[in-house]
Amino acid sequence: MININNYIEKVAQATRLWLQPDNQLLKVAIDRTVEEGLFSLEDIKFQIRTLKQKVDSGQVEEWAQRAGISESNNSIGRKVLCLHAGNLPLVGFQDALGTILSGADYFGKLSKKDPYLLASFLKKIEEFDLQNRVKYSTELSAYKELKADKVLFAGSEESVEPVKEKLFTLNAITEQSEFVIRTAKFSIAYLDNEDPVTLRDMIEAIFRYGGKGCRSVAVIVSPFSLSKVKCHFTDYVEEFWLRNPQLKKPAENLAYQFAFNKAIERDQAWLDDFLVQETDEFPDQEFMLNWVQGDHEKLKELRHHFGSSVQSVYRTGKNIDGIKTEFLSQAQTPDLWWEPDGVSVLETVIKQTHIPSK
Amino acid sequence: MNPYKIFDESVSFEEKAFQIFEFQKKFNPIYQSFCKALGIANPESVKEIPLLPIQAFKEKEIITAKKKLSTNSYQLFLSSGTSGMQRSQHFVADSNLYKQSIFDGMWEFYDLHEFVIWAYTPGYNSNPNSSLVWMLNALINRDDSKFSKFLELDNSLLQKEIDEIRTSGKKLMLFGAAFGLMDLAEKSNVEIPEDSIIMETGGMKTFKREIAKSELHEKLATGFGIAKEHIHSEYGMTELLSQAYSRGSEWFDCPSWMKVSIRDPKNPMQEVKTGEEGLIGVIDLANFYSCSFILTGDKGVMNVENQFQVLGRWNPKNLRGCNFLIDQD
Repeated sequence: MININNYIEKVAQATRLWLQPDNQLLKVAIDRTVEEGLFSLEDIKFQIRTLKQKVDSGQVEEWAQRAGISESNNSIGRKVLCLHAGNLPLVGFQDALGTILSGADYFGKLSKKDPYLLASFLKKIEEFDLQNRVKYSTELSAYKELKADKVLFAGSEESVEPVKEKLFTLNAITEQSEFVIRTAKFSIAYLDNEDPVTLRDMIEAIFRYGGKGCRSVAVIVSPFSLSKVKCHFTDYVEEFWLRNPQLKKPAENLAYQFAFNKAIERDQAWLDDFLVQETDEFPDQEFMLNWVQGDHEKLKELRHHFGSSVQSVYRTGKNIDGIKTEFLSQAQTPDLWWEPDGVSVLETVIKQTHIPSK
Repeated sequence: MNPYKIFDESVSFEEKAFQIFEFQKKFNPIYQSFCKALGIANPESVKEIPLLPIQAFKEKEIITAKKKLSTNSYQLFLSSGTSGMQRSQHFVADSNLYKQSIFDGMWEFYDLHEFVIWAYTPGYNSNPNSSLVWMLNALINRDDSKFSKFLELDNSLLQKEIDEIRTSGKKLMLFGAAFGLMDLAEKSNVEIPEDSIIMETGGMKTFKREIAKSELHEKLATGFGIAKEHIHSEYGMTELLSQAYSRGSEWFDCPSWMKVSIRDPKNPMQEVKTGEEGLIGVIDLANFYSCSFILTGDKGVMNVENQFQVLGRWNPKNLRGCNFLIDQD
């Protein structure tokens, strides 16, 4: 019988040690990631710093406590397959940590776009010889005959079909396997002032990781028009980029969009590697920010219209009636227990429901 | 350039396309601004002519004219949609050009003398701004057999009327949207001649229902009791004045003044390789007084014979955020 408190403490300890500055495994992983041009050093350092701050303040233990993990409430013995995306450094960390913390056997398909960083964490976990299994690979074929109980991944109802087919072919899943699909794609922010602190938080929320995470802001709703704040705004963007050069560059379709906007006389700000445009359309392209002039009602209207594609709505001041919001300053530094798609990772992994995968 | 020259097959498509490009770049302010912003002044090949994203028809009046069009000097087509939705507007300065494109386009694939046209769509009076209904109205009025008509919606087909067409020596061509035709087949207990053509005009994804094209064609063949080779499809839209046709397969052919290419969504100036999926780009020379060079939001693929398949709408909504992509991650 496992002593759950000891178990949680071991996981927390492993995570703390992993994040220590003298951890060579992590250092090598960072160096390789940067050398191969996968992510910028600044983005990796930002992520590591954020995680370290959360872990050092006891958030691993607190997360377990919040989820009510106990001897009778855990996932011990269950097999969880995590399919990790690779759009930003350590994007799969929460799923991996949550799965391990729950007591489940963790099977991680690491992204080929981020193969080293999470692996260094998992190597540290292995050193602690926890009683649950930890296996990870960049190859899906490594999970032949796994017959996972749960599969966690981010995508869409359209993208899940080819994934399921492949997993069935490998016998990595069964008809009883439960799929947990995260569909949220971007976040919205309400900007109601031009204070330097607010603007710096906003820039961080938009441009960190090249704007690629679901917590990144892709739409701003503001009482101000784009033309009013454009110049001021771009000053802060340039300041951010001096410290955090954007590693990945947009494809030519961004210039195409710029040309289209010019033709239809849509207000926009062209930042070479990023485009800000005044429109309330769905933000369907990378390296783009949509600016909507509007009030709280417009914010709520858009939130409703974009539906499950919206991860978070950020505010800078008081709560906004009728809509759930988070502080803008926490956009890229959420607590470990933040809820993708509004669902707790730990509770999801622990929960026992049978939803057929076909 | 005389716009009716687009139908002159003694002039190459490329020559006509370049002339229209110069004309529209000069006299269509939206397209002019678009080309200028892209830095395209003198494309060296037709492939290099920039395609205007079709959303432009929702945002602005896309008109190529040396002087402003006066009210009532044009036919206005609107895309379908509910009130409150932004709809495309196509200002058609010369509806006779549209008419000729319709007729000559069909002549490239069918002998119009042989056919009676039935349209299972709302009629012209209730939909004067529908380019499809306008087209069907023109085809119906063209036929002097008196058998061509708009069918009453929600009524079944009548065997007596079908037999009259058969007796006259003509063949039946029945137009309709996907689900409308399926519903019609279901409620009609008739035998239609095996040489009839069922022409579906799209609409496979509605608010309530969705069906793949191949499945639709199978159901229509079974429902109407004719071979699948007689289930044809028309590819057209409010923003175009020409139509492509597929005849018994999923591959579409264009009339000689229309060309389709498949573009890379990450770089719409580039065509993808044959067999690769991408965005459908259309050069429709009949759009002489609007914009002939259009990038649609449809997903398509081309084969080695320059035919194309329509694979639905291009859904870019999954480009942002975390996405586990099986072939990349």
